Amino acid sequence: MKGKAAGFILAFCVTLFAFADVPVRKEEFIYSILAFNGRDYSGTFAREEADTIYLIAGVDNFLTAKKTFVYFWPITGEWRTDTQGLDQEMSGTLEVYSDKEQPVKLTPEKYTYYNVRGVYELNWNVAKGKEADKVRSHYEDLVDEYWKAISEYYNKRAEYESRLDKITGEITERRKRGEDVTSLLEELKTMKPPARPQPPEEYTVPPVPVKSGFIINLPVGEYRIRFLTPDGFIMQGSEKKIVVFEKRREGGIGYEIIPGDKWTRPSESKTPHSVLYVDGTTDLYLRPFYQDEFNDLYYEKMRRNDSRGNPNLMKWVRMQQVPEARIEMSPMDGNITTVTEEPFYVEQVQGASLGYRIVPFDAEGKHEGREPSIRAFHIPIERERGVLKISLFDREGKQILSGKRQIRVIPGAGFKTGLFLLAFVPLLVMGVVLFFRRKRYSD
Amino acid sequence: MNLRIHAARVIARRKTLETVLNPGFYIAQTAGLLLGYILITGFTGAIDSSGFSFELNPVYDFVGRAMVGAFGRTFVDKLFSEGPFLLALYISFLPSFFYLSINSVFRFSFEKKVGAIELISYGPADGTSCFLASYVKDILLTLLTIAILFIYFAVAAFNNNIVLGSRFLYSVPLILFTSSALYAYGILAAVATDNAVSAISLYMGIVIFFLIILMGTFSIVSGYVSTLSGVFTRIAGWLSPLFYWNLSLTGVESGKAGFFITGIVILSVLTGIVLFASHLIVGVKGVRK
Repeated sequence: MKGKAAGFILAFCVTLFAFADVPVRKEEFIYSILAFNGRDYSGTFAREEADTIYLIAGVDNFLTAKKTFVYFWPITGEWRTDTQGLDQEMSGTLEVYSDKEQPVKLTPEKYTYYNVRGVYELNWNVAKGKEADKVRSHYEDLVDEYWKAISEYYNKRAEYESRLDKITGEITERRKRGEDVTSLLEELKTMKPPARPQPPEEYTVPPVPVKSGFIINLPVGEYRIRFLTPDGFIMQGSEKKIVVFEKRREGGIGYEIIPGDKWTRPSESKTPHSVLYVDGTTDLYLRPFYQDEFNDLYYEKMRRNDSRGNPNLMKWVRMQQVPEARIEMSPMDGNITTVTEEPFYVEQVQGASLGYRIVPFDAEGKHEGREPSIRAFHIPIERERGVLKISLFDREGKQILSGKRQIRVIPGAGFKTGLFLLAFVPLLVMGVVLFFRRKRYSD
Repeated sequence: MNLRIHAARVIARRKTLETVLNPGFYIAQTAGLLLGYILITGFTGAIDSSGFSFELNPVYDFVGRAMVGAFGRTFVDKLFSEGPFLLALYISFLPSFFYLSINSVFRFSFEKKVGAIELISYGPADGTSCFLASYVKDILLTLLTIAILFIYFAVAAFNNNIVLGSRFLYSVPLILFTSSALYAYGILAAVATDNAVSAISLYMGIVIFFLIILMGTFSIVSGYVSTLSGVFTRIAGWLSPLFYWNLSLTGVESGKAGFFITGIVILSVLTGIVLFASHLIVGVKGVRK
């Protein structure tokens, strides 16, 4: 009987697996898109059913025509490509039509993009054609030099360690024999380990391997595109609309807010002049950033073509940090304090509580040899304080108006019962009115 | 003209008195304040060390998830960026708004059907002064409702250390002008139909249609529904007071005071046009049933 039951369960499980919901892969023509989103490049794709591609105006974006397998992944609710199964780049030309001008024919061009180190985070560059190869090979040279330097470093390090072993061994031997070791100790003191070479610092994002694609850089407007094969035929599913948009406003200030007790769960305050409400249980660590405002639908669709967005709303998008800024805190008592950005280290709390604690970074003390976990503005929060106004000043000392915020501590137990009873005042008034009315008529 | 205004004033006074002697008005006010109370306490309960997070409160979790699903995260973030009062103002206003508008539509249609307005029109008043009186009564009681809500929210804001917010303050006059235009549509429905049920059905149909257009404008759905909503907005959006309400609020958000004022002016003009249309219909149809 038990055997039969086990057999039945096994058969049931096999049947379940046999009819498991495997996404159906469909071969489709797609545009693989590398779109500049204002902060970096994000990759997405437009499948045959997608009618529109969204791009930011005045920047280089890259399109590649491909044949690949496309499937819907229900767990995340998004469309994906199976490039391992099929990833065939199509050769041909791309025609871009606008209402005002003659169609432009684009041919695939070699490109690479990279971000170089600077005062600000965003220093994106695009290299095209031969320049792309040059930039990439320059980077590869830098990497090769680095690896050569690393190789030399390991050799020197091995020599150094071998010499160190030899000297220490000789010192031990000589001491056993009762001989003088002064000269060896002197040598030991003067010996220094070789310095480890640093990786190339020129780039924050190194040039990506050179690729080939259609480089699209258009002014604001609506365009139509279609892909033509080398025979001059229009590829089925290649006709799309391109919406090229720009930011509505720029240079707004947003804040990343890191509560002292939940540093892994930061929140953001993006709406200028919005109010930040907290329960006052812990200090806050703020990181101001510049943000630009885009149409919600356009921006979301640019980052992921099958995503959803609100066409009638604008959203602020984080761009880059505000360098060398300072924050002025104005509590209710009018005692203004200036805060600067400081390094902090996140320590795990010992014991069963398993929380975190953010402490000032001690570079020469207990945190020696480590990197700070965060660099932020420390805003002490006190429950009694109620309201704290903050203003942001840039490196020149000029106030950035959109950086104003209020931090308000919400009292835990307010006048809730009173507020509830206050809602019944109209009924009380009704009772009084009806009473006097009845009294008047009865009189 | 002066006689008509005088008659409208006298009838409006009478109708206002009748409404404030009716328990329904107070029940609607209390219902509105209780909704506001739930939203405010829910907001304060959804705040922790990192700020407001609607997942922390069961009421807000439900409302927030539904709104994120329908309108997107950006919409919800903006809605609560200054506190709970913007949402609370509109939600709390709804019971009184529907009570006043439906009551006026019903009363006018009913009085027309039973011949009461016809009877009055043999005297110094006519159909226009009757519906103008109804409109004035609604505006006066809306002002009272807004004042009550404002006082209640100010107390709640002071008590909970929350700001009312600039968009809330802009919404206070805006809600008056928007509801004024909607009351005018109520009058139009009442004069254009022959009985109270038809009038209320038509009025609710108009309001729901405007609401659907507005929600379609803000929804994040794509494809067929989005296209349909876009078409309806283009065709009938300019008739909707909610369209101009949205225009004004968008102006406030983007710091363009001109948009806000333009929205209010257009709402006033729209109210005037709808009331004038009602006057013409009364002139043609008369006040018999």
